[in-house]
Amino acid sequence: MNMISQSLDDTVAAATADFAACADAPSLENAKAKYLGKTGAITELLKGMAALTPDEKKTRGAAINLAKQAVEAALTARRDALAAAALNAKLAAESIDVTLPGRGKGQGGIHPVIKTWQRVEEIFGSIGFDVADGPEIEADWFNFTALNNPPNHPARSMQDTFYVDMNGTDGLPLLLRTHTSPMQVRYARMHAGDVTGKGKPIKVIAPGRTYRVDSDATHSPMFHQVEGLWIDENISFADLKGVYTDFLRRFFESDDLQVRFRPSYFPFTEPSAEIDMKFESGPLKGKWLEISGSGQVHPSVVRNFGLDPERYIGFAFGSGLERLTMLRYGIGDLRLFFEGDLRFLKQFA
Amino acid sequence: MQFSESWLRSFCNPSLTTDELAHALTMAGLEVEEVMPAAPPFTKIVVGEIVTREKHPNADKLSLCTVNVGPHAAAPLQIVCGAPNARAGIKIPCALVGAELPPGEDGKPFLIKPVKMRGVESNGMLCSARELGLSTDHAGLMELAADAPVGADIREYLSLNDSKFLIKLTPNKTDCLSVYGVAREVHAITGAPLAPAPTGDVKASLTDVLPVKVLAPDLCGRFAGRVIRGVNAKASTPAWMRERLEKSGQRSITALVDISNYVMLELGRPSHVFDLDKVHGGLEVRWGTSGETLKLLNGNTVELDDKVGVIADDHAVESLAGIMGGDSTAVSLDTQNVYVEAAFWHPIAIQGRARRYNFSTDAGHRFERGVDWETIPAHLDRICALILDICGGQAGPMDDQTLNVPERKPVTMRIARAQKVIGVPVSADAMASIFKRLGLAHTRTADAYIVTPPSYRFDIEIEEDLIEEIARIYGFDSIPALPPVARAAMHAKRECTRSLHELRAAIAASDYFETINYSFVDERWERELLGNANPIKLLNPIASQMAVMRTSLIPGLLANIHYNHSHKADRVRVFELGKVFVRDASVADGELAVAGIAQPLRLAGAAWGGAVAEQWASPKRAVDFFDVKADLAALLPSDAKFVAAEHALLHPGRAARIVMGDATIGWLGELHPKHLANFELSSAPVVFELEVAPLQCVALPVHVAVSKQPLVRRDMALVVDQAVNTDALIGALCAGAPAFVRGVEVFDVYRGAGLSEGKKSVAIRVLMQDTERTLADADIEGACQRMLEKAAQQQGATLRA
Repeated sequence: MNMISQSLDDTVAAATADFAACADAPSLENAKAKYLGKTGAITELLKGMAALTPDEKKTRGAAINLAKQAVEAALTARRDALAAAALNAKLAAESIDVTLPGRGKGQGGIHPVIKTWQRVEEIFGSIGFDVADGPEIEADWFNFTALNNPPNHPARSMQDTFYVDMNGTDGLPLLLRTHTSPMQVRYARMHAGDVTGKGKPIKVIAPGRTYRVDSDATHSPMFHQVEGLWIDENISFADLKGVYTDFLRRFFESDDLQVRFRPSYFPFTEPSAEIDMKFESGPLKGKWLEISGSGQVHPSVVRNFGLDPERYIGFAFGSGLERLTMLRYGIGDLRLFFEGDLRFLKQFA
Repeated sequence: MQFSESWLRSFCNPSLTTDELAHALTMAGLEVEEVMPAAPPFTKIVVGEIVTREKHPNADKLSLCTVNVGPHAAAPLQIVCGAPNARAGIKIPCALVGAELPPGEDGKPFLIKPVKMRGVESNGMLCSARELGLSTDHAGLMELAADAPVGADIREYLSLNDSKFLIKLTPNKTDCLSVYGVAREVHAITGAPLAPAPTGDVKASLTDVLPVKVLAPDLCGRFAGRVIRGVNAKASTPAWMRERLEKSGQRSITALVDISNYVMLELGRPSHVFDLDKVHGGLEVRWGTSGETLKLLNGNTVELDDKVGVIADDHAVESLAGIMGGDSTAVSLDTQNVYVEAAFWHPIAIQGRARRYNFSTDAGHRFERGVDWETIPAHLDRICALILDICGGQAGPMDDQTLNVPERKPVTMRIARAQKVIGVPVSADAMASIFKRLGLAHTRTADAYIVTPPSYRFDIEIEEDLIEEIARIYGFDSIPALPPVARAAMHAKRECTRSLHELRAAIAASDYFETINYSFVDERWERELLGNANPIKLLNPIASQMAVMRTSLIPGLLANIHYNHSHKADRVRVFELGKVFVRDASVADGELAVAGIAQPLRLAGAAWGGAVAEQWASPKRAVDFFDVKADLAALLPSDAKFVAAEHALLHPGRAARIVMGDATIGWLGELHPKHLANFELSSAPVVFELEVAPLQCVALPVHVAVSKQPLVRRDMALVVDQAVNTDALIGALCAGAPAFVRGVEVFDVYRGAGLSEGKKSVAIRVLMQDTERTLADADIEGACQRMLEKAAQQQGATLRA
């Protein structure tokens, strides 16, 4: 009995050793045949049982079956190990350099002045300002006269105007708008009925291109302004100070930004103010910087809106988007905005 | 306007430092742009008198001087000097040993020490005006007046411990176009006392009157003048006047001219001095007539007409009214007899006239804004007294004619209205005190002030003008910054409108960088690239390459590619969103339109170089039509169609018009090779330009239930002529398709072996699905058959064997 079981144990050990020696699936299948195939060692042992007595069959059979199970377990373990190794090898072969750049098209970007334009829209939009846009070749009346700046008025020389080779229906030469202020008049005239009929205030910003005959390091013949206008029954100069100060602090994300309003003159506002701001930190710390013109809308202009200035008052402002952008991102030269240099534009993507 | 601080303080002297005074003016609306010291720092430079002057024994061009410096030295100093005008008897600035001269380019002061020059001792230095930093004049020593006190500190003597203020005046502040006017403001802001305005006491010792007829009272409202005979036009301008003029940025010319300029700066009163002996007969003040000409003081000859005012004598026009005098009656150093004139010109009669002739003058600048008419006699007396004092002579009586001066109407300001507009309850008493300090005569009613503006104010006509004055003097800084209280109303963007920023973000996400190009372009671009012979022209362009308004954004983008290519970029993708300007007679004036011009917004892009940036993982391939067509998918509505068409800018075989319904909404194509050289490119960019308005409309999605029936796919290869385009073929197939055909798509196009010449094979995928039932084979085969029949009929398609 001992000898028999000894020989079965040897067979199992030999099979395990043979399986372990197999490096791949085909040799493992060959080794399997050596033990479990038609003429395999275990199979032969089972065949030899026919000659045994029933008692012997019982004990001998149980022992052989145990040995067979052990060989089969060894075989499965080896198969799994080989499969795992093969998979690992395959995966290792498939590995990539994850630090190489991604494939395909890149990302473009938005122009920094337009980023400012969008942020201004968002900030004023957060307290309910509408956005308007209109013609850039403009009629004299909208650009000047409606804004209380009649022909030959000395204030006209404050702005050098580009004229085009066409006349308006009033016979006066058409011009490139020198500011976004004509949009005050156009938008207000479109919405005067809502003010008087529905009690809705006029609350709008009008960002866009503007033009003046001027070109040097600090002036471009084309630039961007954003106009703001809020007309209702009780919008005062103190409200202008409140709204614009709040805007600047949100735009520059700086609560300690100093803002000052200084008396000035524009034909279309009265009282009029230049708005200066001062950073409390950063490279421009401590310097007053001009940022905007503003004031209470002149009663003649409110009348040109189609509204009664006795009843409706409010403020307007006009700010340079390039100026806001330069202060925001630390850009020193206005001309960079109009050169289309990708090395510049990519910095804002 | 520029003037010295000491001159201003001679009229109103608040206890503020220079910087505080500048700040106070700025915060009252008189922006002080710059405060400059009258002279750079230097020490120990005194008035010296050259006692003797000999040639230097060892140098031809040097002088050996002895210089009296008064109490600073026991005996005259021996000083070597190289100036050509060194001579005995003149008084000059002398730097003593130990003096520090103004810093040079290195920023360090120059120290005067005793030196030997060519073997001779020199104990000091005689100075030019440039060496003191007072002017650029270095022709020789700065010669001082004969009465200059020897030994006096030059800074004291020339009042150099002073500042020059440069203020930027807004067009409404005509009352501040003089030192006295600014002083009046300083008084209003600070309350410091204001000295009375200077005038003169002129006694008429002659009876001469130059006859003057004012024929145009709509031009000239008041005219006053005086004859002065026997003046010495060669008299020198006194040092004090010269100093004030120079600190105001004006050069001294001759005494008569200087006096006129001085009083204009002092009191804001322009005047004109005629050489009386050159005036023929009397003067008349009238509008010009066409055909008349006038040679002006500045040498220019202008042509006149009935829109410009003139002063004429019996022979000719002698002066452009309120703007500039004429050449023929101008005073010279030989002038002996003069006629001095001061007048009130109506602003509206002067406005724009100088600009018409392309120049400007200080007088015109003042008159077109308005000059006080009441003080004309007092100011004329100031001028005449100065002439008599400096140039001598005898004066005739003043001839003063008042014809038509403005009326100063009282203006009512309601106290409550002022408080409402400013947003602060400024008290009625505070308002009264502000009016008082501004010199505005006022009376009070129950709820308002009635103010009668003085004749020097031309900016007070309506209530708001007074509210502004209250706010300005109350102080903008004292008005709180209030968050406004308003009815809260929700405000949302429309879901079916894409904003311009969303469009920009969509195209930027396809690897395009946004640029901003000028709206005015080179006329050649319009003509040669776009075939536009008649762009809208600027009448006053700043440069020829910015002379006409663009009708397309694409040339600007091509220039962007050129610019970046010249800076070594090998792949450039740019876009712009902006307006173009097209003559269009069908456009009428409208809420947002100007008659005759269409100004639509466009979105254009240009891609040049590799389809993707050169990199390890993608084969190198130039960007082509279909790359950019795919980029446009993010922008275009799904029903936009591409139709082969020709465009001046584009390759005739690689260009498409983009249409929606009947409307063209844009173009896409490869740049025509003939334009490559213009932009120094060797390969063609692919460009597009789209109308923005149609891109902004997006449909609100409407849900359709997803069918639960199985989806059937059938592929077929159709052979057609090369010329048959994909849209046409699909259109024909769809014409035969029953409702359950969900999609017909091209998934391959083949040309070459196995096909006869001029044919191509197009692989089509048809997707079919009914909403209600599973499709039977017969349905499917029947549908394919009908589609094939239509394709055969309409496009000559055959099923590929």
